[in-house]
Formats: sequence, C-alpha cells, structure tokens
Amino acid sequence: MTESGFTPRLVLVATVAAAALALAGCSAAAPQTLTVDFATSLPPAVAPVDSVVWMLNGEPDSLDVDEAGGADMSTVLANVCERLFQIQPDLTSRPFLAESAEWTNDTTLVLTLVSGATFHDGSPITADDVAWSLERHMLDESWEADEFDNVLSVAVTGEQQVTVTFSQPDAVFLQAMAGNGGVILNKKVIEEAGDSFGGPGSPDACSGPYEVTEWNAGERLTLQRSASYWGESTGVGAEEIQFVWGDETAVVNSLKSDRADGVYFASPGAAIGVGNNPAITLGQGPATNAWSAIPTRDGAASDPVVRRALSLVINRTGIAAAAFGGLAQPSKAPIGSGAWGFEQETFESAYEDLTGSPATPSDADIEEARKLLADAGLDSLSLSLVIATDGGSTRTVIANAIADAAKKIGIEASIITFPPQQYGDFYDDESLRAEADLFVDEYYISKNDPVGFYKNGESSSWANFTGWEDPEFDTLVRLAQSTLDDGERAQYAVQLQERWNEEMIWIPLVATPSTVAIDSTLTGIPSSSAYLYYPWAADLGLVEKP
Amino acid sequence: MRAAKSAGTMVVTLVVSSFIVFAALYAAPGDPLTFLLGGPENRTPERIAAVTEQYHLNEPFLTRYWLWASGVLRGDLGASMQYHQPVAALVASRFPVTVFLALYSSILVVIIGIGLGIVAAVKRSSRTDRLIVGGTTLGASVPTFAVGLFLVTVFALWLRIFPAAGAGDGFIDRLWHLTLPAISLAIGAIAIVSRVTRQSMVEMFESDHVAAARGTGLSESLVVRRHVLRNSWGPIVTMVGLVVAGLLSGTVVIESVFGISGVGKLLVDAINTHDFPVVQAVVLFMVFTYMVIMTAVDLVLPLFDARLSRVRA
Repeated sequence: MTESGFTPRLVLVATVAAAALALAGCSAAAPQTLTVDFATSLPPAVAPVDSVVWMLNGEPDSLDVDEAGGADMSTVLANVCERLFQIQPDLTSRPFLAESAEWTNDTTLVLTLVSGATFHDGSPITADDVAWSLERHMLDESWEADEFDNVLSVAVTGEQQVTVTFSQPDAVFLQAMAGNGGVILNKKVIEEAGDSFGGPGSPDACSGPYEVTEWNAGERLTLQRSASYWGESTGVGAEEIQFVWGDETAVVNSLKSDRADGVYFASPGAAIGVGNNPAITLGQGPATNAWSAIPTRDGAASDPVVRRALSLVINRTGIAAAAFGGLAQPSKAPIGSGAWGFEQETFESAYEDLTGSPATPSDADIEEARKLLADAGLDSLSLSLVIATDGGSTRTVIANAIADAAKKIGIEASIITFPPQQYGDFYDDESLRAEADLFVDEYYISKNDPVGFYKNGESSSWANFTGWEDPEFDTLVRLAQSTLDDGERAQYAVQLQERWNEEMIWIPLVATPSTVAIDSTLTGIPSSSAYLYYPWAADLGLVEKP
Repeated sequence: MRAAKSAGTMVVTLVVSSFIVFAALYAAPGDPLTFLLGGPENRTPERIAAVTEQYHLNEPFLTRYWLWASGVLRGDLGASMQYHQPVAALVASRFPVTVFLALYSSILVVIIGIGLGIVAAVKRSSRTDRLIVGGTTLGASVPTFAVGLFLVTVFALWLRIFPAAGAGDGFIDRLWHLTLPAISLAIGAIAIVSRVTRQSMVEMFESDHVAAARGTGLSESLVVRRHVLRNSWGPIVTMVGLVVAGLLSGTVVIESVFGISGVGKLLVDAINTHDFPVVQAVVLFMVFTYMVIMTAVDLVLPLFDARLSRVRA
C-alpha cells in the first residue's frame, strides 16, 4: 500500500541529466513557475474514449498486492481490483464490496457483502473469497500485513457475512479496507496460477471494471473494459488503456510529442517539464505527501527549542518555488491535506490555526526565533547543524534553504551528501543518523487519516528518532486509534497535530500534491491521490462530444 | 586445444567477475531491506523479520554468494527481489530490444565510422578531411546522454520525425523507435572508428609498397582498395570489435534517456534497489557477450589482414 516514499528507482543517469537541465535552466532565467488548478477531480467527461496510452513512472513490480506495492502497480490495479470499501476522488471512503460494516462491539466488525458481485471469470464473490483474501493479506511476509496488526481472526459467519475480530479497537481498519489491504481476490484463479500469479502473463484475480488483457514484460501492459462487469456503468471511460513507462525525461518527452495521453507524476516538480502547453492540461489535487526535516538523536536539532526557532525562519515559499517549480505548497503540517479523509472542515480550520511554520518568514518571525533561543539560554554561536542531502536537486535545494535559515539565527550549518541508494536507510540505521542532525524526506500515509501519521511521535514508535517521550501524547494516540466515532477521533487528531507542532517533532516544509498531466481533449479523472485505489479509467473521457 | 583453452579462460573470467560484482554490491552503501520493505508504514518488526529471513539478508557474505552460485550451477539464476520473477525470464524479456539497439548501433558504427575514415584518408589534408576530423572530435567528446537529449529535443519534440521514447513493435516500427537511441549510442564509437581507419590508412599511403604500387601505374582507386585498405584492416577490425562490445554497456545510459525497458535499464534499476540476482545475471551476460565478440574478432582478423594470414601460413 505504500507508494513512492523512498523513491526506489532513483536513476543515477536521470539525476545527472536532470541536474544538467536544471543548471541550464537556472543560468538562462529565473525558474519557471506554473499555476495549476487545485481540485479533487478534473471536470467530468461527456463522452467515452476509445483507447488511451497512459504513462507510468516505471514498470509495475508485480500485479499481486501481497507481493508488492508501489504507485505504478496501484495506478493499474485501481481499475482492475475492487475493495471492501472504495475511496472517492475527494478521499473520503464508502462501503463497496462490503455493503455495510457494523461494529457489534469495540473489537468485532461484521461485514455484509453486496450481492451480485462477480469476478472477471464470472464466478460470484463469496464470503469464502473475502475471508481467504483477508487472511492472505494478513500473512507476515505480505505487503499489507501492517493493516492487520490488531486483527485476531477472520471468519465466515453467514452466506454473505464475514466477521473480523480484533485484539483492540482499530479505528483506521475500515480506511485500510479501501486500500490494497481490502482487495478481494479470486481464490480459484490464484491457486491455479500458483507461483506465477502476479507476474506477466498470469491472469488477474479481481472483479473491477477493467481486465488485464496483456502484460508484455518490459514493453506494455494493456487493460480492457470488462464486458462482464457486474457494477454500474459510468457512461464514460476508456475502452482500452495501454500503460507504458519510463523515467521522468521519457515521460515528459512522450507527453510533449503526443505519444502518450497522460500521467500521474511521481513528483509535482516533473510537471515543470511539460510547461505551459496548450495541448496538455495539468491538474493538482490533495495527497498525504509532504516533505519534512527530520531530526536525529544527538546534535543541535534534537533540542525542540532549536527546531521551533528553525521552523520560524525557513522560507517554505522559496523551497516550493526552487525545488518544485511552484507546484508544491508551503505546509504548516507534516502531512498533506489528503490525510483529511473525514471531518474535513474540522481539519481545515485546525490547520488554519497552526502557528510556528510561516510560508515566508517575516522580520517578526526572525526576531521571535532569536528570542526563543535566547530565552532558553542557548548561545546560537555554539550551535551547529549538519543537514543530509542525497546530491539530487530537490534535497540539495531544501538542505540549502534550511542552512540559510539556520544562518539567519546565527547557527552554523553545513551540508553532507550521501549516496541516493543509501538515503532511505536513515529510517533504519542509527549509525547513519549519527552522521547528520537533520535529514529531509517526503513522507506519506496510505490511509486518509492523520492519526496514521501522528502515531510516529509515540514514545515507542520506530520513527521517533529524537527519543522524545510524552505519556500524554501516547495516550492521545491510543485514544485516537481506538475511537470509532469520526467526530471524536478528529478532535484527538487535531490535538495530536498541535502537540506535534509545539514540539516540532519533525519540521514541516512543503506539501507535494498529487499531479496529473493529460491530453487536453481528455478529462474526468481524479486529480487527488485517489487514483491509486479508485477506478479512474472508468471516469476518463472526452471534454467534448465527438 | 585452443578452443578448450579459451573456453577455460572464459569460465574463470565469469567466476571472478561474478565474485567481484557480488562483493561490490555487498559493500555498496544502502540496505536492500529498505527497498524490499517498500514504504515507511511497512516496517513492522514482523515484516522486517519475515523479509530478512526470506532473502537471507542476515547470512554472512560467503554464504550468500554460495547460495547464489550453487543455484547458478544448477541452472537457476534465482528470482528478482524487486519483480518477484525468475531472473532468466526477466532478462530474456529485456534482451531482444537491447540486442536490436546494440546491433543497429554497430551497423551505424561500421558503415559510417569506416566510411568517414576512408573518405578522410583518401582526401587527407583537404577541407573534407578537416571537417570529418573536427566533427568526430566533437562527437567523441560529448557525453552520450547529452547527445540523446539533444536528438530528442530536435527530432522528436520540434520536428516530430522520430518518437521520443519507447521501443516499438515489429521490425519497421522498432527500427523507427530505436533510430535516435542508436545514433546517440553510436556517435562516440563512430568518432573512434573513423579516426582509427583514417590513421591506419594514412600510414599505408605513406608506405613504400604503396609508392611501388603507384609506380607500376595502377589507378588510384585500385591502389586504395588493393594496397591501402587491405593492409589497414587489422587495427580497424580490432577497434570495431572493442567499440561494438562496449556499446552493450552504453545501453545502460541511453535506455534510461529514451524510456526503453532493456537490459541496460534493468541493470541501473537493479543496482539502485540492490536487486543482486538481477545485477549478477546482467553483468555476467555483458561480460560473456564482450568475450564472445572479442573471440570472434580474433578469429576473423586473419581473414582480413594480409600480413597475419601470411605469417600463419
């Protein structure tokens, strides 16, 4: 269920090429900025489309949700597989293959299945298939295992009924059932395919509006509208989608030369390459992705006062412009607005109220930061910060912005470069973290619930790198995770967010929205990160009637 | 006897290079676990334990090498850690496009490289010669990926004569798709081959036996064909062999620029994700092909070189 977090396909070559291009661009003129509409979806389509070529940022690793994750696989399977719940373009979720989900007590969930749903081979989706699928996702080695941490057992309790028993209340479980952890698979197809299931040439085992008709490894993957689809027709959609893939340069060039009809970019910055092109529509929408500066245990950044002061003086607008061509948003929170999958108004107003992370620091902010240090008895001249980059343009720009901010308040800062292949190890390797005081990374969560992120501040969390401990925060996390009522849970989440920012556990920088580019004759699909789990190809279509 | 000896050398080279590559990958920064786990939410202790066990990540270096090597001896190249497919199938699916690209590029190198070299040598010290020498110097000095980006911008984005990315289906379509990549890949090699051809022929032009041939009243074109070119083939063929064998590793760069899923792109991705069974297989494939090409050059060289064939006879 996890997508582009550690950007596993960092390609040296492309990085070099991109850096060369970036340098060329800088010397010529000020960096180009684009203004792009921000919404949950592109305007609706009015007519279906025959065939489209869609770019992925890489070939899917597999088409088995238990064997792999990744945005490339999810972008494809969103159209092929169906889940117990379904995420909507606005990132809320609704019951889908489960007609209803009822908590009969705090730790028992009864799922009632819709009737009439069938797999692509025509066989009905039974309670047995559902239980079997959930048990498959639960296995330790499965990609989705983490969603089932609190699940004790799954049992068929009626013809159309499955009961899930938990060891403790789990408020985000239903959210997870709208992701790849909630995919219902055809047991018969998987058992027949054996080990080859998920690879090129093996059949899909799903029930969605599209079927995988061809996966020619290394070349293309084709989906066709399922003739036997059990659900309602959208009236629009593509008859056929051909997925092809390439690095950022190849993606952008394919779009510009009209060899491809669209792409969901791996990073919003990639859309700069498309530029102001009348033949291509760009759109952005909410995602949970955001970049933060993450402190390590020892060194100056382990002091919350230093982090608060630093946060006050970082130029987030500058980062958004220089590292993302203006296509990222200065953020006061360490996750994007895509995390607000429920009670959106509550979260929106709480976000407005957040302080301490200005978009562009004012003189007053700088003054306040200096005062913070002075009040704490810290002599800024005795402090120094080491910021880690991977040598790529994004992290280097961000590291420079942080170093620049540190200097504004008299803290000496230096930048240290690690190989891109090693950068992801900052999360796991304590000895690597000892070499830097701050590392910068894009983090995201697969479920649209802020609690899924703020639990990282728990004293027992693996991601709590400074060793911060606060029993009150821990209690709040547990309360939020176990409160099934959305309104109440939102309140807890808001408190966690405030507490997080007071402590500046990670320093929020910019939110990176979901970014789509599409041939300007086409429209209809989500611009939010819903494309990872929602059947977007069925909404795709023409802007005008042919 | 000679064949057995060179086959033996090949096996030893393959074993040694597999060990070196394995060791290099093992020592390289970055933990394969980071990539195998996928994302931050996936790093639960249970999953870390399961994945570590599944891929033998806790085993000592030599044990892991032996696990891989014993598989290879049984004819099993292992499974890709990223794609979960058998490595043999994965490489086989990427193989045709890379071979097509390398062959296409080689043909360009042979025809254009040798052709330009001959023209420059025959018209040595003329304007044409200076133009060819200057042009090829430029070609040899620009990095392959820069040539690729330049060609895409001009021929795919502005003129729209060729596609910007992809490999195409069927022979004609593939030829069309791979033209820009093949040219990008060939340019540096064309420069080298044309310079060697020119140099080798110029030396012949100045030799005594060519002067003697001229003295007998042979026409200039016969002199060039029978005496100059024929005696220049040795260094040219050797250089073509070296350069063509090197093209295969050049695909690593060019496939990324043009969005071609070939063996080269597979290698870059595999190195970045520490997918060592794939890296091993691709590198061995490249080493093996290199050796086959060089052996082939050794075998055909006598057919070209008048002096060598006389010596052997």
